[in-house]
Amino acid sequence: MTQILLYTDPISEGYVILITGLLIVFSALVILALFFNYGLPIMLYVYKIITKGKDKKISEIKVKTDSGFTGEISAVIGASVHMYLSEQHDIESGILTIKQVKKTYSPWSSKIYGIQNRL
Amino acid sequence: MKKLIIIFSAISLLVFIRPVLGLGANIATTNSSVSTAQVDVAEEESIIDKAVDGIKTFYSYTGFANSSSGNVIMIIIGIVFIYLGIKYDYEPLLLIPIGTGVILGNIPFVAGNQTGIYETGSVLNYLYFGVVKGVYPPLIFLGIGAMTDFSSLIANPKLMLLGGAAQIGVFATFLGALYLGFNLPEAGAIGIIGGADGPTAIFLSSKLANGINILEDGTTVKNLIGPIAIAAYSYMALVPVIQPPLMRLLISKKDRKIKMKPPRAVTQKEKMIFPVVALILTLFISPSALPLLGMLFFGNLLKESGRTERLADTARTKLIDIVTILLGVTVGASTQADIFITKDSMLIFGLGAISFVIATCGGLLFAKFMNLFLKGDNKINPLIGAAGVSAVPDSARVVHHEGLKSDPSNFLLMHAMAPNVSGVIGSAIAAGIILSFLG
Repeated sequence: MTQILLYTDPISEGYVILITGLLIVFSALVILALFFNYGLPIMLYVYKIITKGKDKKISEIKVKTDSGFTGEISAVIGASVHMYLSEQHDIESGILTIKQVKKTYSPWSSKIYGIQNRL
Repeated sequence: MKKLIIIFSAISLLVFIRPVLGLGANIATTNSSVSTAQVDVAEEESIIDKAVDGIKTFYSYTGFANSSSGNVIMIIIGIVFIYLGIKYDYEPLLLIPIGTGVILGNIPFVAGNQTGIYETGSVLNYLYFGVVKGVYPPLIFLGIGAMTDFSSLIANPKLMLLGGAAQIGVFATFLGALYLGFNLPEAGAIGIIGGADGPTAIFLSSKLANGINILEDGTTVKNLIGPIAIAAYSYMALVPVIQPPLMRLLISKKDRKIKMKPPRAVTQKEKMIFPVVALILTLFISPSALPLLGMLFFGNLLKESGRTERLADTARTKLIDIVTILLGVTVGASTQADIFITKDSMLIFGLGAISFVIATCGGLLFAKFMNLFLKGDNKINPLIGAAGVSAVPDSARVVHHEGLKSDPSNFLLMHAMAPNVSGVIGSAIAAGIILSFLG
C-alpha cells in the first residue's frame, strides 16, 4: 500500500495524508449519519409493509372477540404473575452444613460427671 | 523475636551456602582454584572470605547494585500514577495497573536471566506479546462494544460529525511529528494519541512503530509502543484537567446554557440494525480498521440482539477485565528506563498534550460551526463537541459537569455520549486510514 505515495518528501506526504485522511473520516461519518437519518426510517417502513398485519396495535384489536375476558380473569392473571415474579414463597438454600457451635461450659456435657460418678 | 532469629539464620545460611554450591556465578568460580590451594593453610579465613564473597555476589544481583537514576525516576512516576488513581480517581482501572507495571518494569536486574519484559523467554515478555502483536486492543473493543449504548447516536445522527471533527487532532499531531523529524510510520503512530483512545493507539503503534518494521531506506523504525501507550492513557486520565479550561475559553457563557431537546426514543430494531450496518459501511470505507471496528460492532450486536446476553455479559465484564489487567501491567512494564527515557519519549509526551488540545478545540469549534446552520430547538450545546475526542466515558462526564456548572438544570450526559462514541468510531477509522497509507 505504500506505493500509493510517490513523493519523497515526508512533509508533503504528511499533508496528503492529512487532507485525505480527514476527508475519509468525515465522509465515513457523514455516510453513517445520512444513513441513520434517512435510510433507516425507509428501511423500517419497508419492513413494516412486508410484515403487514402480523403485529397489531392495541387499538386495532377488536373488543368483540374478548367478550369472555372479564376483569376478574385479568385480576387473577395479574396477581399470579405478580406472585410469581416477586416469589412469595421462601426458598431456602439447599446446602446444609453442620457448623460447630462454640458453647460456654455446661455441666450436661462435662467430662467431670461420668456415669459412675467417680472423681 | 523467635521468628526474627529463625529468618535471620535462614538468610545467613543461604548466603553462606551460595558460594559453596557454585551459585555465585563468576566471583565464586574464579576464587575456587585459589581457595583449594589454601585449604590447609587457613581454612578459617577462607570460610569467612567465601561468606563475604557470597554476600558480594548476592549484592551484585540485588536491585540496589544495579539501579540507575532512570529506574528510580520511573519508579517514582509509577508511584505517582498509583497515587493519582487512588487519590483523585483519575481512571483508576487504568492508572493502577499501569503504575504497578511501571514499577515492575523498572526493578533493576542483571540482564540475561529472563527477567525483563524485553528479554525473550521471560513471562512478562510472553504477556507483552499481546501488545506487540496487537491482540489485546480488539478484545478491549469487543468489551467496549458490549458496554456501549449507541441509542443517543441513532436518535441524533448529525452529532456523529463532531466525532469526526475531533479527529483533526490525530492528523495535526501526525504533521507535527513529521516536522519534529520522526519518519512517516512513527509519526502516524504518534498522531493517533490525538484519537484519545488507548487500545487504538496501542494497536496502531504495534503495527507501525514496533521496532521490527524496516523502512524503504533500510533503517528500522523505533519501538515507540511504550511511550505512545503511556502518553495516550495518561492524557486520557487527565481529560478532566485538560478540557474544562479550553471549554471556558472557546464557548461563551450564553452558548454553554443552551438546552438541547431530549433525544427521541429509539426502537430495539434500530439498535439491532445499527451495529450491522455501521460495521459494513465503515469497514468498506476503511478495511484496515477491521480488527478494531469489527470487534466493536460485534460486541454491540451481542448486546443488542437480545439473544446473546450471556456472551455480551462476559465480554463487558470478565473478558475486558482480564485483558485490561494484562494490558495495563505489560504496557506499564514496557517503560523500562533504558528504553523509555529518551528524547523521543519526551517529544511524544509534548505532542500528545498538544494533540489533545487540538482535538478538543476541533470538536468545540465544529460544534459552534454546526450551530450556525441549526435553528431554534435543534441547536446543539457546543460543549458536547469536546466529547468528540473519544476517551469514553470521561470526556462526556467532563462535558456534563461543565454544563451543570453554568446551568444546574442542564443535563448533557446523554447528548455528550453521542459524539463520544462516534469519536471512538472516528479514531478507529482514522487509524485504519493511517495504517493503509503507511502500513
